[in-house]
Amino acid sequence: MSASISTTDSTIAPTTVAARAEGVSKFYGTGDATVAALKDVHVTLQTGEFTAIMGPSGSGKSTLLHMLAGLDRPTSGEIFLGDTRISALNDKALTLLRRDRIGFIFQSFNLLPTMTAAENIVLPIRIAGRKPDAAWVQSIVDKLGLADRLTHRPTELSGGQQQRVAAARALASRPQIVFADEPTGALDSASGTELLGFLRKAVKELGQTVVMVTHDPTAASYADRVLFLADGHVVDEMFEPTADAVLDFMKHLGG
Amino acid sequence: MFTATLRGMLAHKVRLVLTIASIALGVAFLAGTLILTDTMRLAFDQLFGKVSAGTSAVVRAESAFSQTEGISTSRAPIPASVLDQVRTVDGVRVAEGAVSGYALLTDNAGKAVLTSGGAPTMGYSLAADSALRGDVKLLSGNAPSGPRQVAIDATSAEEHHIALGSTIKVLFQGPAQDFTVVGTVGFGKEKNLGGTTGAYFDSATAQQVLGAPGFFDAINVSSDTGVQPAELVRRMNAVLPDGAEAVTGATVVKESADAVNKDLKVVGIMFMIFAGIALFVGAFIIWNTFTMTITQRSREIALLRAIGATRRQVNRSLIVEALLLGALASAVGIALGLLVAKGLNLLMDAVGFSLPSTSLQVEPRTIVVSLLVGTLVTVVAALVPAYRATKVLPVEALREAVPGAGNPSPKRVIAGAIVTGLGLAGLFMTLYGDLTMKVFGPSLLAIIVGVLMLLPAAARPLASLIGVPLRLRGLPGDLARQNAMRNPRRTSSTAAALMVGLTLVVSMGVFASSLKASFTDLVGDSTNADLFVTPSSKQAPGFSPEVTKVVQAVSGVDKVSASGWGQARFNGTDSSYSAIDPATATAGLNLRLSSGSVSDLGLDGVVVAQKAATTHGWKLGTVIRGEFAETGKHTLRVVGIYDSKGWISDDYVISIAAQTAAAGQQLTASGLVTLVDGADKGTVQRAVTDALAGHPDAKVLDRKGFEKEASGFIDQLLTFVTVMLLLAVVIALLGIVNTLVLSVYERTRELGLLRAVGMTRAQVRAMVRWESVVISLIGALAGAALGIGLGLALSQALADEGIKSISVPGLQVTLYVVLAAVAGVLAAIGPARSAAKVDVLRAVVAD
Repeated sequence: MSASISTTDSTIAPTTVAARAEGVSKFYGTGDATVAALKDVHVTLQTGEFTAIMGPSGSGKSTLLHMLAGLDRPTSGEIFLGDTRISALNDKALTLLRRDRIGFIFQSFNLLPTMTAAENIVLPIRIAGRKPDAAWVQSIVDKLGLADRLTHRPTELSGGQQQRVAAARALASRPQIVFADEPTGALDSASGTELLGFLRKAVKELGQTVVMVTHDPTAASYADRVLFLADGHVVDEMFEPTADAVLDFMKHLGG
Repeated sequence: MFTATLRGMLAHKVRLVLTIASIALGVAFLAGTLILTDTMRLAFDQLFGKVSAGTSAVVRAESAFSQTEGISTSRAPIPASVLDQVRTVDGVRVAEGAVSGYALLTDNAGKAVLTSGGAPTMGYSLAADSALRGDVKLLSGNAPSGPRQVAIDATSAEEHHIALGSTIKVLFQGPAQDFTVVGTVGFGKEKNLGGTTGAYFDSATAQQVLGAPGFFDAINVSSDTGVQPAELVRRMNAVLPDGAEAVTGATVVKESADAVNKDLKVVGIMFMIFAGIALFVGAFIIWNTFTMTITQRSREIALLRAIGATRRQVNRSLIVEALLLGALASAVGIALGLLVAKGLNLLMDAVGFSLPSTSLQVEPRTIVVSLLVGTLVTVVAALVPAYRATKVLPVEALREAVPGAGNPSPKRVIAGAIVTGLGLAGLFMTLYGDLTMKVFGPSLLAIIVGVLMLLPAAARPLASLIGVPLRLRGLPGDLARQNAMRNPRRTSSTAAALMVGLTLVVSMGVFASSLKASFTDLVGDSTNADLFVTPSSKQAPGFSPEVTKVVQAVSGVDKVSASGWGQARFNGTDSSYSAIDPATATAGLNLRLSSGSVSDLGLDGVVVAQKAATTHGWKLGTVIRGEFAETGKHTLRVVGIYDSKGWISDDYVISIAAQTAAAGQQLTASGLVTLVDGADKGTVQRAVTDALAGHPDAKVLDRKGFEKEASGFIDQLLTFVTVMLLLAVVIALLGIVNTLVLSVYERTRELGLLRAVGMTRAQVRAMVRWESVVISLIGALAGAALGIGLGLALSQALADEGIKSISVPGLQVTLYVVLAAVAGVLAAIGPARSAAKVDVLRAVVAD
């Protein structure tokens, strides 16, 4: 597999757009203490694609993910999820959008301690007051090998199992897009590999769109495309990445 | 360590304010009570002192003992002839006879001028000498002179538009008379004497209408300048006849003040009990807060331990925190106490205990006691949590602390079950076995304490049960239920405060309800009266005996059985007694005599209660000694034994004629009216009402009306007690707010996650709100159940005192529980809002 590096916008594939950022900037603080996390970022994410966002600490990669996922608002610029201009939504609409159209996987597993694995998986669906699609949920649970863990509470699960529950939760409501923020950051390598394999399978077999922030080149190699951020800018991207190629590029970026 | 303590306290302002408030309210009640009683004491001292400021000495009848009731003292009158003897004593500048007694003013329309509070309606002789008048001043018009003139207190004149020159009727124990109002009287700056209405006559008229011609109640003496009161008293005592004594004015003032102070003490103790309850509930909040903050701060504590702080230092820093908190809260409480004192004063006014006014008195003792009690309660409540803090290991600083959610230890559950069991056993043994009633109170207490110990074990199932309907509210409801269940100890100690408050409120409600039901039964069982003649004001001591004659004369009335009461000493023990008319008593009253007969009462007979007869071994014919303040010793022969659980419930019953002979003529307390066969009750009632037009001191009621009025009085008392207990409930609600605030703070990450995956702010608020409702309902339901139980036990315990019917006010209890749930919603407003505001990003991003 050869890595193709391009600095132009990707307009090659005839796929639809899952989400995009147009001229997004984010500043924290005011006056002299202002820090720019993102500066005029343009990103387009394709449906059915597994995108990884990489960059050194402070490059703005998590900030970008939070903007795209509707967890935070840009200082300027626009964010679209499909055709919805989410930067224009109020808190309530944004909350419902997160609930119905977005799935999340966080670094620290973020499960509710009072609920069983099964209850955690259908949490967003239950928040919406809807009935989960039992067959669909079951198929995800089977894919993740959680079938015999469903009645356990988070404290009774290993880290890898907890993160798989979180992944099942992210996919259970058939979201348009799943955002994962350093999903393997707190996992041992075996568990991490297992989770990344699942995410890839979700993209290839279920057509799920996944966007993942990571600083691990191996994790990034599971993606179809890698976006590189540095100092709040998108500096480059890589299709069909390998761990070595990503590592090389990161060395180059860091140096 | 001290700086760390201080910084820690300031870092959590909401927690600081809430914990301070929970103790400060209790202290405020305590301080307010002390301030109020001191103020009242001073007010009465001033009042008595001023009124007799110019009186150097008083000559009065000697009395083996004196009956003091409120501000009037009964004593035998002194013959007018003594006045002449007193006037001859060297050093006496002026001496005048004084008479006082019951007098009820009426307004221009002939309606009674009633006092709003328990203040008496009085008549006095107005001294001619200005020094002897003391603080009593004519504010307008002239001093009364002659048998047709009266001066009245300025308040009555103003409020009832009684102008100088108008003619009003004044009611006495004897016949009522018309008088021309010639003046109004005030007291220093006040227009009345502590709420009392006053009618002032010249000496001779006063003797006629208030006492007896030829007699005075006392002789007031003003000395020549330079003669010491004590010396004057010595000189007078040398010449006074047997049975008369001279004392200084100061002695009389002190006697009166002491008597009032005794009553005030009772009021003070009553308020202290409520303050104690408030502090007890406040202690729960402190306990809970310290337990929660120590859990949350275990990392911080572990860090301190890791860098070398000893266990003792950790413990000490927490105790110091409690000390500071307690002192601060007590200081705030003392300031609030001033408001409480004002509020209590208004409340007492509203339910009918008017007090003379003076500025609020804050004695150093009040400040010292309040500070000590408030601080001590706080520190004691913090002791166990502080001890637990020392168990935090240094290594925990390095771990992610998961707030503990353990079930209570089995040891505690067993201990709780044992304490509850002992309490229940004690309760049943006292009620149905032959265990002494002294065990009853401790048994009740043991049950409350036992249930408090068991509550943590019950919290989880209770929350689960109460939360069942919440599942219908979707996920927020379900989560609320789970949150209430996840830390049973915290949930239970939060609910416990509310439980204690509600237990007391509900048990009082049940008790009052049983009391009302019993009263209704009692009226039915022990009287066959068709109509009831009662004083026109509930607070009035009675009505003139004249009324009985008037009612008797109404056509359709068969018999009127009058009854009165008084205080005397029987075989050396002070007791109240009832007085009945043997000729008519059996017509309206069912006394249930087991032996003897009422008709044998005569002038020296007494009917005694079965209880007293059993205790003392009295039988028919036994002679007992009765001492009356007015006339001294009499011998009384037992002519009947009755069950004393009906309309008349005193241990001793004598005839009205005997009472008049031994204690002078007294007011009638009530008259039971029976009708002749075939008479229409409504018609006769109207006729009696018409006949009483000239007697505004009495009114006639049918059975329904009478029961309603009596239960109205019970309701009034119940309202008073409930309002007092409400303070404990308010403190308990502060505790719920506090717990929720701390829980929300502790669950920031969870809340953030829920928001991130799509829970709306409204849903987050609902979740916190429902959790609050579940906690409130645990407290309310446990309190209601316990309250009903205790109320029934209390009613049962007093079955011998006449509480024979037991009644649970279901609607009222349900209302309390619903209100508690509503209060839970209110308590959650703030915490729910801050939960909804949780920053999603900060909560979900790994730190």
